[in-house]
Amino acid sequence: MSVPVRPILSALLRNRTGAVLVAMQIAIALAVLVNALYIVVQRAEKMGRPTGIDVDNVMVIASAGFTERFQTVPSIQEDLAYLRALPGVVAASVTGSIPLSDGGSNNPLLTNPEAHAGENYNALEIDEQGLAALGVHLVAGRNFTHEEIQPPLTKLDASRFVPEIIVSRALAERLFPHQSPLGKRVYDPLRQSATIVGVVDPVMGCFPSSDHPDWVYFLPRYPYAFGGSLVYLVRTQPGQRAALMRVVEQHLAKSNPDRVIDWVRPLNYFRDLTYLGDRSMEIYLITVTALMIAVTCLGIFALATFNVSTRTKQIGTRRAVGARRRDIVQYFLVENGLVTGAGVIVGCALALATGYYLSLQYALPRLNLYFLVGGVLLLWATGQLAAWQPARRAAAVPPSVATRTV
Amino acid sequence: MLKMQDISKIYRTDLIETYALRAFSLEVSAGEFVAVTGPSGSGKTTFLNVAGLLEDFEAGSYELDGTNVRALSDDARSRLRNQRIGFIFQSFNLIPDLNVEDNVDVPLRYRGLAAGDRRERIASALELVGLASRARHMPAQLSGGQQQRVAIARAIAGDPAFLLADEPTGNLDSLMARQVMDLLEQINEMGTTILLVTHDPELARRAQRNVHLIDGHVSDFSAYEPRAAASGGADAAGAALA
Repeated sequence: MSVPVRPILSALLRNRTGAVLVAMQIAIALAVLVNALYIVVQRAEKMGRPTGIDVDNVMVIASAGFTERFQTVPSIQEDLAYLRALPGVVAASVTGSIPLSDGGSNNPLLTNPEAHAGENYNALEIDEQGLAALGVHLVAGRNFTHEEIQPPLTKLDASRFVPEIIVSRALAERLFPHQSPLGKRVYDPLRQSATIVGVVDPVMGCFPSSDHPDWVYFLPRYPYAFGGSLVYLVRTQPGQRAALMRVVEQHLAKSNPDRVIDWVRPLNYFRDLTYLGDRSMEIYLITVTALMIAVTCLGIFALATFNVSTRTKQIGTRRAVGARRRDIVQYFLVENGLVTGAGVIVGCALALATGYYLSLQYALPRLNLYFLVGGVLLLWATGQLAAWQPARRAAAVPPSVATRTV
Repeated sequence: MLKMQDISKIYRTDLIETYALRAFSLEVSAGEFVAVTGPSGSGKTTFLNVAGLLEDFEAGSYELDGTNVRALSDDARSRLRNQRIGFIFQSFNLIPDLNVEDNVDVPLRYRGLAAGDRRERIASALELVGLASRARHMPAQLSGGQQQRVAIARAIAGDPAFLLADEPTGNLDSLMARQVMDLLEQINEMGTTILLVTHDPELARRAQRNVHLIDGHVSDFSAYEPRAAASGGADAAGAALA
C-alpha cells in the first residue's frame, strides 16, 4: 500500500503539542550532538597526532642539585654513564625541558641575518644520545657527535649559540621551503649562526597544544641547570621501563649527596597531563551527548507509547477494515519519522547556527557538513528505533478491539 | 456464501472457561439480510467477531465465499476483511483526527488502490449516504447519525460482499436510526449481504431472516416477511457506487 503520509501529517497537526515538543527536543539534541561530536573528533585527532617519540618506553628523571658543591657537568656525565650502562636502557640524554609537557623554551630563528625579527620555534637541548633517547628518527643528515656537545650556558655567556643544529622536517620546510635544509645556516637574534646538520621526522616538541608542535630544533648542548635542576630522558627496551624506573630512582638518590631526585616519571604522564583538558572535555561532551540522545529517545518512546495507548480503538478499527500488522507498524514509524524529520530539519539549522557561533567565539573550525549528515542519520535512526517497540505493541492490538464498547 | 458449522469460541481465564459460541452453525446466502438477535451475553458480538474474521475460534469450520478461513494467516485474514467485508460499529469508530473523506479512504488505502480510483469510490460512497457535501468535515462536526453514515460509506466504499453491522443504531435516536436502517436496506437491495447484530426486535423485523442466540447457540430461526429480493450480487452494488 502507499505510505499514508498526508493523513498522518494531517492527524499530527491536529494533535501537535506533544509532537512539537518532541521535535524541538530532537532539534536541540541534533545541534548538541553534531557540534559536540565535531569537537570530540577534533580533540581526538589532536591527541592522536604522531609524536615521533617512543612515549611508552621513555622515562623522565628530575634531579635537583642543592648544595654549593654541586657540579652540573660532572654530575651529568656521572649520571649518564650510569644510566647508559644499565641493562635494558637503549639511550639516555639530558635536556632542559620535557617533551610533550607544554612547557619549555621557544627561541627565534632567522634565515637571513639582515632580517629584523624571526619567529619563535621550540628549542630543545640534547646531547649525542638525545635523538635515540626520544626514539625520533633522522631522515636526512647526521646526528650530533659527542665532541659537538657544548657546555651549559652560564651567566657570563648566556647568549651563546651553537655551531650546529638538527631541525624537524616541518621546521625545515618552514624555514627553507622546497629546499634541502642540510648545510643551510640559521641565525639567532644576535646573528650568531648555526648550520643545519640533520633533519628528523616526525617529531613533536614540548608544546603539543601549540598550533605547530612540530616546529622543533635541537641544540647540541648540556642544559643550564637553573637552581641545580636537570632533566634526564631515558629510553628503555619495551616492557622494562617500570622496573628500571625503580632501580634508577634508588640508585640516583644515593649516588650523589649534593642533589636529590625529585621524581622519576614515565613520559606518558606528561603527555596525558598536557591532554588532560582535552580528554576531560571529550568525556564530558560524550557523556552529555549520550544523555541527551537517551533523553530524546525516551521522549520519542513516550510520545509513541502515548499515541499507541490512546488510539487502541483506532488501531483495532484499522485492523478490522484491513490493516495488516506491518501496516500498523508502518503507520507509527511514518508518524514518528515525520516528527523526527521535522526535528532534524530544525536541528540542522540550529546545528549550523551553533557551529557558526562556536567558530566565531572560540576560534573553532567551521562545522564539517559530514558531521551534520551523520548526526541527522544517527538521530533519525535512533528515533525510529525508539518508536519501534511501541509500534510493535500497536501492531499486536487485535482487530476485535474495534467491536468493544468499553 | 457464509457457512459456519459447529463453531465453538471459548474465552479463557486462569480460573474459568466461558463458551461464547457453542456448536454454532449458520448459513447465509448471497444478498441476504440477516439479523442476529439475543440478550446481552448471548454471543452476538462474538459471532460478529468470528464472522468478520476479527477473532479466531477453537472448533468447527467456517467458509467464507468458499474459503476455509481457519487456515488463513493473519495477513490473509486482513486481506479478506479488507476486500470482502465491510464493518459498521455501534460507536461508529471513525478516526477523529481524519476528515470524512480520509476516514472513508482508510480501507481503500490498505487495499492499495490508486488515488484516482479511491477518489471515485469515496465520492460515490459519500453520495450514496448523502454526505458528499461534508467530505472535508471532521467527525466531531457531524451529528451521530451523520457519523454513522460516514461509517457506512467507509464500509461500502470498498465494494464488499458482506456488511457486518454491530448495533448500528445503538447510539442513535429513533429518527436517525430509521435513516440508517433505510440506508442499510438500500445497500442490501443493491446486492450486498448484510448481517445485522442487534438486541432490538423492531430492527430485526426489518431483516429478511432473524437468528436468535441464547448462550452461544442458535435457539430460533425466524423468517419475517421478506422484502423485495436483491436483484443482483455484490457486483451490482459496486456498479451502483461506481
